[in-house]
Amino acid sequence: MDLLVQGIVTGVLIGGLYALMSLGISLSWGALKIINLAHFSFILLSAYLVYQLTVTFEVDPLLMTLVVVPAFFVVGVLTQMFFHWAKVDEFKSLIITFGIFIILQSLTQTIWSADFRRISSDLNVYGSGSIIIGGIALPTPVLLAFIVALAIAVVMSFVLGRTYFGKAVRAVAQDPEMARAYGVDTRRVAVILSGLSGAFSAMAGVFIAIGQAIFPGLAVSWFGVVFSVVILGGLGNTVGALTAGVIVGVAAGAAAVTWGPLAAPLVTFVILIAALLFRPEGLLTSRSVA
Amino acid sequence: MNKIKRWRYLAIVSVLALLVAACGGDGEGSDTTEAAPDTTEAPPDTDTTEGSTETTGATGEPEGEPIVIGGTLALTGFLAPTAAIHQAVGEVFVERINEQGGLLGRPVEWQLLDDESVPDQSAALYERLITEDEVDLVIGPYGTGNITAGMAVAERYGYVFPHHTASLTYAYNYACHFSSWSTGLHPNITNPNLVYDAIESSGNTPETIGFVINEFPGTMFIAYGEPGTDEGGAVTEAENRGYEVVLDLTFPTAITDWAPIAAQVADADPDFLYIGGLGVNASSLITAMNAIDYSPRGMFTQWPAPGPLLETEGADGIMSVTIFEEHPPFTDDPEAVEVAALINEALAEAGIPYTKVETQAAASWTAWEYLQQAAEGAGSLDQQAMCDYLLENGAQTLFHGDIEFFPDEQNYYVDLSKVKQIQDDDWFVVYPEEFAAPDRSVTYPLN
Repeated sequence: MDLLVQGIVTGVLIGGLYALMSLGISLSWGALKIINLAHFSFILLSAYLVYQLTVTFEVDPLLMTLVVVPAFFVVGVLTQMFFHWAKVDEFKSLIITFGIFIILQSLTQTIWSADFRRISSDLNVYGSGSIIIGGIALPTPVLLAFIVALAIAVVMSFVLGRTYFGKAVRAVAQDPEMARAYGVDTRRVAVILSGLSGAFSAMAGVFIAIGQAIFPGLAVSWFGVVFSVVILGGLGNTVGALTAGVIVGVAAGAAAVTWGPLAAPLVTFVILIAALLFRPEGLLTSRSVA
Repeated sequence: MNKIKRWRYLAIVSVLALLVAACGGDGEGSDTTEAAPDTTEAPPDTDTTEGSTETTGATGEPEGEPIVIGGTLALTGFLAPTAAIHQAVGEVFVERINEQGGLLGRPVEWQLLDDESVPDQSAALYERLITEDEVDLVIGPYGTGNITAGMAVAERYGYVFPHHTASLTYAYNYACHFSSWSTGLHPNITNPNLVYDAIESSGNTPETIGFVINEFPGTMFIAYGEPGTDEGGAVTEAENRGYEVVLDLTFPTAITDWAPIAAQVADADPDFLYIGGLGVNASSLITAMNAIDYSPRGMFTQWPAPGPLLETEGADGIMSVTIFEEHPPFTDDPEAVEVAALINEALAEAGIPYTKVETQAAASWTAWEYLQQAAEGAGSLDQQAMCDYLLENGAQTLFHGDIEFFPDEQNYYVDLSKVKQIQDDDWFVVYPEEFAAPDRSVTYPLN
């Protein structure tokens, strides 16, 4: 029983990390109609920057959040400006951002080599730390990721639902032409939203860097789980992304404990297929901007 | 956007996600187990000795047309972290051989192509290297699947095929393939027993053991024996010794969440944990076990990335297998020290964080030595003559000593593996005793 509880608890927490990795893609796809596969490279690049800055300056890796989050906000802004300039639509975005993904992956390999990198435990106190409650361990990296994902989901849900900017985002998502006719600066809205997506990817990169070894090919392994979360959560739905992340994390974790680790990816893809068949609009459609 | 259009994009992205996820890995390998076919065609132009000298061991400036050695490596993709080591070592070898007078008096060029970690791509590129580029010699790629695929092409054209670290020893019956990773034909028996002997050399024998095995074919072979047979395997060999198997898990190569496995290890609480892992598997599992406040009493991992393990909290005391480490008695030969220093430098220049020579770099260097000695021993680039030379004379290698080749043992010689252990934040060979670093022996249990 403890084993299953532990599996579920860590599944909930890792769901936060999945959500953090998915938020940017979900917002970008839902509101801007951009399927930004380069987002995976942003996460990886952020992780590498956190690694490099931490080992170079021998500082707390979490402090690097102050560097990478603003930096990737700017990257997100520039990316959207490029998409705007190139008049990229939803389908083209899939192809173009896949190209950017490959280019950035190669760039990562050129700079840091193909070998594994890991922040040493001397510099990374979070890597293998945990909080024990009632015999159940809450691993620090995913616990922190969950807290941050929860905060972002709640704040973004409020922003998108209750503020002028949120209304503008929803207007842009539903009908950009009409939004423009009503005085919404659609370009500005898109640029800010893309910047936020970049910032969220950087945040995910921080927790990847403190939680595991990184290498250029790592990003490929995230595709399945992230798209499961994005589709299950509903496009542009931040609370949905967190909910879906938790569902995927718990289902995969419980399956791994009950039927063995080989069952975890099976469950993830069953969820993806089931979501496409029965809830292609996502679990929490009323909160979606799309 | 209308619903049909949205559905179309959802479907496209989902297919893409499935495809990429299916192709992807976690840097720790994925493989095919197809054995090389038996058919052998005549090579298009295998005897390219024109312009070469018949002398061996030339020491002057190499002259004449360069000898082109073709090969692929996983310069990109999930095998790239380890293939980068083979690239650096190959470059050092080629530079050194040219400085020492070349091969058969001629300069050597390495035509290296990127197989992208994909076996099919490896096969296609070896086909191109042999039939279109008409390279003089070939050297194997990295990764069991890629080696298997490349070997089939080399066999078809009768090319001598030295390779580094293919793990499915039973699958290769091509007489002219030469593995530089001497594990014997039955590492599924010899390797686990070496590890168990090492543990017991501490004076303590585990009563219970747990297995966590990557479903990569090579690690499955070592853990469970050859598919379709009930011979050997770490699990069976443990049971034969009377260890009680309290955990036996396999996990996918592309794993993202280690917490459930860590929880199951903690729940089983074995006296010894055997991780049939690759790359950073062990590092990730130890981190996940630390996170739930669990430390095994003893650990072994099959083929790890050595650098990240040294950086991992809680990895002290973990064991693994190796064929060379940079300490006595392996470094008693000054030339080994000199070459190791060159490789260290090349690895550092390539940006690879862990620069010491161990299994991968040593096996890579040895494969190049096979090729050099085959050509020099045959006195030509005739593939069959080179193959015959190696089969009859074996090879004298810098990092492994004298190697013999027995075709009925699939040219894997005997198992030269040693057991190493992380002690005081570094790797040391601890077993067998005659290969142990000075004043080092197996530490078990750890807590």
